[in-house]
Amino acid sequence: MSLPAPDSGLAPAPPAPPPERAAARWRAPRWGPGAWLLALPLAFVVLGVVVPLGYLLVRALDADLAQTTELVFRWRNARLALHTAALAAGVLTAATIIATPLAWIAARGSRQTRRIVTLVGVLPLAVPGYVMATALLGATGIGGLLSTLVGAEVPRPSGYGGALLALGLTTAPYLFLNLRAALLGLDPALEEAARSLGMDRQRTALRVVLPQLRPAYLAGSLLIVLHVLGDFGVVSLMRYETFSYAIYLQYAAAFDRVYAAWLALMLLGMTGALLWVEARLLRGRAFARTGSGSSRRAEPMRLGAWAPLAWGWTALVALAGIVLPVATLVHWTLRATDRTGWAALAEALADSVGAAAPAAILAASLALAVAFVGVRRPSGRSRAMERVAYLGYATPPLAFALALVFFSLRAVPALYQTLALLVGAYALHFLAEAIGPVRTALYQAPPRLEEAARALGRGPIRAFAETTLPLLRRGLGASAALVFLSSLKELPLTYLLSPLGFDSLAVGMWGAASEALFGIAAPYGLAIIGVSLALVALLLRSEADRD
Amino acid sequence: MLRPLSLFALALVFAACGGEPEPAAVETPADTARVSAIPTAELPPDAEGPLVVYTGRKESLVGPLVEQFREQTGRDVEVRYADDAALIAQLQEEGDRSPADVLWSNTAGALGAATQANLLTVLPDSIRVLPGSFVPAGGQWVPVTVRFRVLAYAPDRVDADQLPSSVVDLPQTAALEGRIGWTPTYSSFQDFLTAYRLLGSDDAAAEWVTEMQESGAKAYPSNTPMLEALLAGEIDVALTNHYYVLRKKAEGANLDYTFFSPGDAGNLALVTGAGVLDTSQRQRAARRFVAFLLSPAAQAFAAETTKEVPVTAGAPSPEGFVPFETATNYSPKLEVERLRELDETLRLLRDQGLL
Repeated sequence: MSLPAPDSGLAPAPPAPPPERAAARWRAPRWGPGAWLLALPLAFVVLGVVVPLGYLLVRALDADLAQTTELVFRWRNARLALHTAALAAGVLTAATIIATPLAWIAARGSRQTRRIVTLVGVLPLAVPGYVMATALLGATGIGGLLSTLVGAEVPRPSGYGGALLALGLTTAPYLFLNLRAALLGLDPALEEAARSLGMDRQRTALRVVLPQLRPAYLAGSLLIVLHVLGDFGVVSLMRYETFSYAIYLQYAAAFDRVYAAWLALMLLGMTGALLWVEARLLRGRAFARTGSGSSRRAEPMRLGAWAPLAWGWTALVALAGIVLPVATLVHWTLRATDRTGWAALAEALADSVGAAAPAAILAASLALAVAFVGVRRPSGRSRAMERVAYLGYATPPLAFALALVFFSLRAVPALYQTLALLVGAYALHFLAEAIGPVRTALYQAPPRLEEAARALGRGPIRAFAETTLPLLRRGLGASAALVFLSSLKELPLTYLLSPLGFDSLAVGMWGAASEALFGIAAPYGLAIIGVSLALVALLLRSEADRD
Repeated sequence: MLRPLSLFALALVFAACGGEPEPAAVETPADTARVSAIPTAELPPDAEGPLVVYTGRKESLVGPLVEQFREQTGRDVEVRYADDAALIAQLQEEGDRSPADVLWSNTAGALGAATQANLLTVLPDSIRVLPGSFVPAGGQWVPVTVRFRVLAYAPDRVDADQLPSSVVDLPQTAALEGRIGWTPTYSSFQDFLTAYRLLGSDDAAAEWVTEMQESGAKAYPSNTPMLEALLAGEIDVALTNHYYVLRKKAEGANLDYTFFSPGDAGNLALVTGAGVLDTSQRQRAARRFVAFLLSPAAQAFAAETTKEVPVTAGAPSPEGFVPFETATNYSPKLEVERLRELDETLRLLRDQGLL
């Protein structure tokens, strides 16, 4: 499967190798001819974190001491922190409730069931959060789509509840993918042993399987929580004041960058604390298989009496997460008086893909370097490196973009507002999504193959390229796909850093929607969903081929 | 199973497109003469390269006008689309390295912020005289179109004569209890409330907001859903912007709008506008572009596309709306740039639990 596998922000500490194997552990030459292949991407990743942090500090220090104290120590910030934490916790809970049963069915159901449920679990990833929020708002309330179609007057979700619903639905796939892959990779021998020792099915699930899912759960939840921390589109549409919304309001309503910088720094402080906690939760646990021989796949289970419930839940998620946003967009399109021109849409599509595709490839390559040092050269420093890569994901995109404006104009003015800068910005911002799948694949690739290649006279780079790299193909594909989808939906970075004349689908969608021209906005939204859908279908197909 | 699904998605996208091309702006010889008549002799010659416009306005308005300008002047133009807030922050970060020549914004607030940050250059009188009013005292930018705050109502349920003559009395109108719609979190409402504060006092504005809440006014996230609710009978009147009403009416909806009495804060005019960046190396072309936006053809096109009101004398108002002068007389007299004093307004709304 080429979608993200069990993984965590911090890799579960690999079991200590037995003494005789430790000596044989693969080692790359410290400063061999290939060192720059690692050093260059790692330096780039570090730059991607240092630049925004440095920028925010410069802006934050524009305030004098008295103003600083006033800005930082006020009740509003505590309330923002509380709101942000409450939303993150709520979204995580919602995503868990949505994703866990689906992942279970998608891993253990019959072949046909697995396919359908996997599709339902993954597809909401194709729906941008702001499209989901707009769809929820447009479908509910008096005069909404639901009341027009079925006469049901569902109260309009807004504030906390609305943000929770939109973010829960759109981020659940991150958790679904991780849990499903973990369940698929789990050796059934473990469960069978528990059953043979007299545990019933439910207790086995609760006490044997569930604890094994911990790294996958933490990996998925880390992405979700970081996503919520940085999200602006949904919270602004739902009008729920979190840090990132307050940061935007500060830029938008007060045109002020100083308080915005302070807020962003506080948000990054929260992120840092979160990364630290997550690392603590994983410390000293072993999840790797210890048996010999190759692992098998668990027997498909029969849903039996649970079938109606399982299918009911799947249908509900499909309705809310996919059918509702698509139907809303179609509804707007059909009743629109203004139409989006073919040419404009095609141009936006080409520009979007032209930036998102190279960004996806770049991010996957950077993730490979980060994961490589983390897995093959585990140390405090390489672990810190991995953590650092997550910070960019939680930096509010507008602040991230302004940092790159600030930095590129001073350091490399020739790069300013070029496609190269935009691609680099996407890759650095979404790197966190790319690390997981690559790292998991790297864990599963035995270093022994590479050692054999070295023994046969290949240089370190060639040995890696010929033995390990082919094994990472699926992991790299999954990493690239996640970054591609995210780049396609991205807004603030595109706004500020794109080359002149660049038209992305997301910009077309948001621009029209913010003027309430939903008929013009809708085709762009459908195009985003269409492209993402095609990509997801491609990924699932490559998996099906393997079945 | 997968392939039909993606084909279906693709089909949806295709179905969504096509249709009418954008109406083209009509060029008259007088326009060309007018744009080239803007004196630029005292300015240094322009640098090479296209004229760069940063705009918070949408592409369906800007695109055709840029094309028209290109045809008239032979000048290449590149446009950066983003929202106003992002652009102002960006321009400030860019400083004197900014590639931008023209800033064309959605709100006077953004232009006021740009003025405050010394981003804009003072425009010559030849450009400042073009709009009928709303030119800021400093002359760093000119208005291009105007939006008016109005009271939308359902004519089948409400008699326009029974409506209060001032927005101040709106929450006290017994017949409208629980029947008023408003958008406390929406930027143009906040501009209105800022005007209410500046024309009266902070306390008066806070009191009005409290009265609105007590009257059971229904808060909507934005104007479009509010007007849908108005049509659906959830409310009878709505505090909104005139162009939302005109767009709905153009779709055949049964609703109408009215002004409060002249000078009332509820009739506030909100301008969009443009200015030339101080750091621009293409001052001549930038000036011409701003002047072009005030040419009759560009003004008429803007009115037709956005249903906003042109600011130059003689350019027709959008269909179904009163002439510019009439609407302007209804609007309270307020220095437009003062609308950027938004902080206090936001605080007020937060204190009332609305934000």
